[in-house]
Amino acid sequence: MSASLLKIDNLRTYFYSRSKRAFIRSVDGVSLAINRGETLGIVGESGCGKSVTALSVMGLITATPGVITGRIDFANGTLHRNLLDGLDQSVRLSEEEGRIMDVVKDSGAWQRQSDRLQRGVRGGEIAMIFQNPKASMNPFEPVGAQIVEAVRLHTEHTGKKEAEQRALHWLERVRIDSPRLRFHNHPYGLSGGMCQRAMIAMALAAEPSLLIADEPTTGLDATIQSKIVDLLAELKAEIGITTLLISHDMGVIGRLADRVAVMYGGRVVEEGGAQQVLAGGEGNHPYTRALIASIPGAAEVRQKSYLQAIEGDVLDTINIPAGCRFYERCNRVTEAVRERCADCEPQLFDAGSGQRVRCWLFAP
Amino acid sequence: MRAASLKPLARLMGRELLMTFFLLIGVSVVVFVILYLAPGDPFSVLLEGEMPTEAAREGIRQAMGVPTTWYSQYFAWLGKMLVGDFGTSIRTGMPVLPELLRVGWNTLVLTGGAMLVTLLVAVPVALYSAVRGVTLISWPLTILAYVISALPLFWLGYLVLYVAMRHFGIFPFAFASLGSEPKLIYFLLPILVLGLGSGAISEVVRHLREESSRVLDEEYVRTARAKGASVWRHAFKEGFLLPVTAIMATKVPFLIGGAIIVEQVFNWPGMGRMAWQAAQDRDYPVIMAIAIAAALLVRIGTLVQRVVYVTVNPRASQE
Repeated sequence: MSASLLKIDNLRTYFYSRSKRAFIRSVDGVSLAINRGETLGIVGESGCGKSVTALSVMGLITATPGVITGRIDFANGTLHRNLLDGLDQSVRLSEEEGRIMDVVKDSGAWQRQSDRLQRGVRGGEIAMIFQNPKASMNPFEPVGAQIVEAVRLHTEHTGKKEAEQRALHWLERVRIDSPRLRFHNHPYGLSGGMCQRAMIAMALAAEPSLLIADEPTTGLDATIQSKIVDLLAELKAEIGITTLLISHDMGVIGRLADRVAVMYGGRVVEEGGAQQVLAGGEGNHPYTRALIASIPGAAEVRQKSYLQAIEGDVLDTINIPAGCRFYERCNRVTEAVRERCADCEPQLFDAGSGQRVRCWLFAP
Repeated sequence: MRAASLKPLARLMGRELLMTFFLLIGVSVVVFVILYLAPGDPFSVLLEGEMPTEAAREGIRQAMGVPTTWYSQYFAWLGKMLVGDFGTSIRTGMPVLPELLRVGWNTLVLTGGAMLVTLLVAVPVALYSAVRGVTLISWPLTILAYVISALPLFWLGYLVLYVAMRHFGIFPFAFASLGSEPKLIYFLLPILVLGLGSGAISEVVRHLREESSRVLDEEYVRTARAKGASVWRHAFKEGFLLPVTAIMATKVPFLIGGAIIVEQVFNWPGMGRMAWQAAQDRDYPVIMAIAIAAALLVRIGTLVQRVVYVTVNPRASQE
């Protein structure tokens, strides 16, 4: 096995819409690898499949008509597991003239198999934090008890007193103020920022080898956002935990990520070192450039000038065009490539030093 | 922590008990006024159908010491009731309270058992459809639950009686078979009929299914799943306990109402039968006592729900 802790290979997560008789292809052939100790950032607009990718890894796609194929290999120490092993056996597609007419899914068997594969991995080896931290904590239980539960489930500190000590330690570690008081508080008594700190404490308390942070700063006040990012940066430096960071916020990605994958329309359109990808210049995918150009600088805010938005809407993942998925919105199409862009989807072309770009402009 | 959460509970109980007291007074006034205004009186019972003259009636009134105005009658009753004396039955001449406690227990067994039957049927159907959504199994089950709930109780009762007697040769009258040991089936049939037919099943299925599927989609339940914890441990309070107690509390009056019918059909010596008999006899003390007891039972249902809510909900129990 390579150094990759998590290797996602050709992941497809589709949701079948009975009313439209079509698949919503939220994640459509994504391959990613996260190496030990690094932070991989995934960026893209809402609806690009970032979160669905993370939820697929965690086995949290519970919507009944969800179909997941591909491989998700998790390897740590003696534990090697394909988290999607055998799931396809509980799905049957009925086709008519080559079109998929219906999906018959034995969701019970699916769920059981998924839960079996996730045992010991979900929550223990891979922990996750979410956006909207206040709603993500159980409102009926004190914050401390929820962290204690994670400690007792996944670490050797199973004794009650010992687990409480650990939980308190983690609350102190995430720099929540008056941790002893918060330990006994219910989530309603905490602010959004405190809740996210508690969520981070709860995730790390399980001593996971991979942390998935799904939009960890979204929905928080701007000042709180930067404090949470500071905390994550600090924990990264101290613990060196491998992280999959999902955000639409280029600033957050820029501060934390070592490598970045840009997603559009359920696919990775660019992947590479954070510096190269976030350069947002000639060497980048037109979508990445547009994303970076749309970040308002301080000067623009001061002058109250219009923000640069990307024309058009995020790709509708039901009717996917034959050509490049970004073609409709792309403003860098040259006459030399126009025909190919419209008719044929590009693959990920090598752009040097580990960077890969899904754009015909980069074709050798 | 513990002490802090007990205090609001005590306050709640104090408030609720005070409210219960006034509620019961209110119920007694209303029932008494209705009884007073209704045609007929206990004389016809006492005199077994003989029509006395007006002078004879007055004589009896005076001999029995019955106050003349309705409100003095009421306050005479209230005064005694407040010290625990519910008077004697006009029909039997026996004190009301011991008899009421005896049949009240029977009714409690009937309604409590019926509640259990309702939950045993409704909860699995509701939870199964909440977890799995609409499937080939959950859909017919739900329909079946609705159809059973829609059956009129008296019809279902007589149907069960008919089938039991005609095809199985059992006489499922709870206490009719004097001398012989009462068999379990005599108790089970009325309880089953009330539990299935009271109409509570469809309500529990609908309410619990909606609530638990909503809660299972809550973000904090997803967090529970993400941390490898038991989903139901986290979803239990909001997704099961609160909806079940809420819906059952509202169903208590309907169960008591249904009990009157089932007790008639199956000859079950409970409060319902006693009320039925007393209403025909215009046996005022008995009717009044039963009205109070029924109101109290309904009140207890609500109280249980309030206590569960306050205990479970951290905001309610700490503010």
